[in-house]
Amino acid sequence: MTLGRTRHEPMSSAEPAGTPDEALLLRVGAGDEGAFRELFARYASVSHALAFRLVRQAQVAEEIVQEAFLAVWRTPDRYDPARGSVRSWLMGTVHHRAVDAVRREQAQRRRSDQAAALAPRVADDPTDDVVSALDLPGERRLVQRALAGLPEEQRDVIQRMYFDGMSQSQIAERTGLPLGTVKSRTLLAMRRLRTHLGEVTP
Amino acid sequence: MTRDHGLIDELLAVRSLGGLDGDDAALLERELAAHGDCDECLRLEVEHSEVAGMLALALDPRPVDEAIADRIVAQRQPRTEQRPDRTDAAPADELSGRRDARLGRWQAAFGIAAAVALVLAFVLATHPDEGVRVPGTIVAFEGAPGELAMAYTPGERGALVWGAGLPDPGGGKVYELWMIEDGNPVRGACLAPTEGAVAAYLDADLSSAELMAVTVESTDCPSAPTTDPIFTAELA
Repeated sequence: MTLGRTRHEPMSSAEPAGTPDEALLLRVGAGDEGAFRELFARYASVSHALAFRLVRQAQVAEEIVQEAFLAVWRTPDRYDPARGSVRSWLMGTVHHRAVDAVRREQAQRRRSDQAAALAPRVADDPTDDVVSALDLPGERRLVQRALAGLPEEQRDVIQRMYFDGMSQSQIAERTGLPLGTVKSRTLLAMRRLRTHLGEVTP
Repeated sequence: MTRDHGLIDELLAVRSLGGLDGDDAALLERELAAHGDCDECLRLEVEHSEVAGMLALALDPRPVDEAIADRIVAQRQPRTEQRPDRTDAAPADELSGRRDARLGRWQAAFGIAAAVALVLAFVLATHPDEGVRVPGTIVAFEGAPGELAMAYTPGERGALVWGAGLPDPGGGKVYELWMIEDGNPVRGACLAPTEGAVAAYLDADLSSAELMAVTVESTDCPSAPTTDPIFTAELA
């Protein structure tokens, strides 16, 4: 993986103002603390929100954010621009670590036969807020509107898979839907989201 | 010839949201491998990952302690620098402390010295003509249930791998250990657990590996992974 290839064009024009993420990451690779702090300022809070949304434990969520950004700091060359934006890479890293933590915890609960001891869930369903999203910052409003625009059955799959960390098999088991239906709804939802979010692309 | 990307499109969509599991994970890897260096596959992968990457923006941002950035910056070490020996290293900060805490679970379960001695005995029994040095760095894998750890000396060949409480990989399946070099998996060794335990000497050059990963594979130990990793460990 190198930082030299630029086959990818960011999907959204709504990039944070200032130096592009890719340029900051290049500077991080050269040991530029200021560039790292700028990336941290841009994405740490949303990373924290994503991790907390999945793991529901403040300390674990903070640890996930810390480990994800530590990886950015120590090994920025793992980013491959051919495979997407810095943002999608970073969010993917955080999501992956958080889902791992969720599934580890699920496995441990199964092993100790304490499945009933589920932690109380936090009522921060992002799709609950879609109606009142008018005053939110641009990108958040855009994404919430795109989620709100999905048919309910597609939004439910996205909700469970991305925001709750469930696998396709778990969703099929929990909802009683055939696995193929879960996958097809996921694809339809992603295509529709792509259409909505892509509308802002110049 | 135009290839059909319908299946790949669907599976990539699920993978981008972290939902791919079971046989579909291996199926996607096979399909992608069959397509080779395919621009359409890459385009679909990028599209889905970009959409997935934007979904997090729907959440209310959650403030982060700015001291985290300070701790991370303070963590930087040259990649060639050898990590201190775990047996006499004091945690430099909270992050190190947390890692030691995770390692502590393993230590409590087995005892590092006993485990290394066990593996060394195994290695000496199976490689009687080779000199074996006790490695100075121990990393704990993260991922599936159970504990898996590796001891090695950065810059030197060979590593000791051992684990306990590992799930059964299934009939006709083994664990396969990979060294990730510049993002590419390099075959390490196949591990067949006995009652959830493994102990092996990995006779390989780890100097270029940035990450170790373990997948579940068939007993013929394929030369490239066919499933997603269930364990990973970052190297110095």
